Amino acid sequence: MKELEDRLCIYLRAKLGAPDLVVTGLSRIPGGASRETYRFRAQYKAGGKQLDRGLILRRDPTASLIETERTTEYRAYEAFFKLGLPVPEPIALELGSEALERPFFIMSEVENCTPGGIMSPDPYGPHRQKVGEQFYSIMGKIAAADPGKVGLDDLEGASVVNAAAMHELARWEKVIEEDEREPQPIVRAAIRWLKKNPPPPAQKISVVHGDYRSGNFLVDDAGNIRAILDWEMCHLGNPLEDLGWAIDPLWAGADPARPGGMIPRAEGIRIWEEASGLKADPKELLWWEVFASLKGAAIWISAALEYADGRNSDPINAFSGWYTLAVHNNVLAERLSELDA
Amino acid sequence: MRPEIGTILGLTAQRIVMGLGEQGAAYAQGSAGLIAILLSASAKEYERGADIRFTENAEIRALFSELAPSVKDVGLRKELQDAAAAKDKSLRISDLNEGNYVLRRLLTKLQIDAEEHGARDRRQRIWAVLKAMAQRRLVQLGP
Repeated sequence: MKELEDRLCIYLRAKLGAPDLVVTGLSRIPGGASRETYRFRAQYKAGGKQLDRGLILRRDPTASLIETERTTEYRAYEAFFKLGLPVPEPIALELGSEALERPFFIMSEVENCTPGGIMSPDPYGPHRQKVGEQFYSIMGKIAAADPGKVGLDDLEGASVVNAAAMHELARWEKVIEEDEREPQPIVRAAIRWLKKNPPPPAQKISVVHGDYRSGNFLVDDAGNIRAILDWEMCHLGNPLEDLGWAIDPLWAGADPARPGGMIPRAEGIRIWEEASGLKADPKELLWWEVFASLKGAAIWISAALEYADGRNSDPINAFSGWYTLAVHNNVLAERLSELDA
Repeated sequence: MRPEIGTILGLTAQRIVMGLGEQGAAYAQGSAGLIAILLSASAKEYERGADIRFTENAEIRALFSELAPSVKDVGLRKELQDAAAAKDKSLRISDLNEGNYVLRRLLTKLQIDAEEHGARDRRQRIWAVLKAMAQRRLVQLGP
């Protein structure tokens, strides 16, 4: 850890033009399986002031839960930080391997906050209403943003409204094709249903966060959402994709009527519609809900393979292969059997 | 269930031997918590793993036996009848998995056939088995 701290210090001194910069307290923290996440402090002078900043280092792992582009995540932080949405301030992006052996980026640490645990029955306690309202409102604002105006119109994804659904379905079907090691009849049935019942064209092409859910944002003690995190699956597409993912039963915990242990689903959808200026037609949203569970299954199948092959021994990957894949298989079986009745 | 218990135990042991604490207390604490959940789930899987697979294979074979006569495709009907008559080689997880994978692939073929021929009753019968499979494989966390 000391060697990494020293190398980080050398990098930041050059990057920030601060020859006196000192890095302290570097330690790895749990922060998703797709990147190694470290917390540290940097003390340096800038603009005549002595600064002492909490920062976060996100470094590429040797293998990850999802093959993602760190550039995408960093650019999303840049775009939505400028727009005034709660995201960490991006500090530096390094695509080379010379500084810290693998590509990485650095952003500000949003301090004195916690993520809501997805396994907790009541993760936000007395703040569940306040947190829920912000959760759907911020998601709606992301959907409302013009990708061209925020500088993200070249992201991966569908660029035309009638291609968004099938583009994403093809993307995750490919992951399943490549990574499935035991036959998944329910997942296969879901793919067939999604193909046979395509939704109408998207109302618009938006920036889709890709993993917008409980557990991927930070809340302070007063119930304020201070940062939306984990933008590595960010892409262009149908904004209903984020809504379908956010209300997926996997994140619902003990009460499926209150996704993420926050506000009732119907209230959340109404807030999202107000903030986005878009409609969440129930039939169209249903397609995106089935898709969300299918996408989840694809991610868990991929994670389980990486673990089983020994490429990434992070226990979260084994957990994904067992617990979360089983939940999504069950959700899909229940939903699809009803739709086929 | 992938990864299988043997892989989880092996990689977990390796992770512990390599030293969880080297990367800092917060990360070590998070990893230890997840490992505890995984090992607890592994203990349950050890108890029920063979039973889940044995029961699932038996249910799929019974389904094939029941639905094969109504399948018009001669080749598929023969495949279903052969699979229904087959037996698991042993109660080893690897042998049960081998049979299970063959049965699951054939189950998808049967379901596609039912979808293409508009056979609603057959489709619902297949969904009943798939729902039971999904329910049975849910992982209960905690004691």
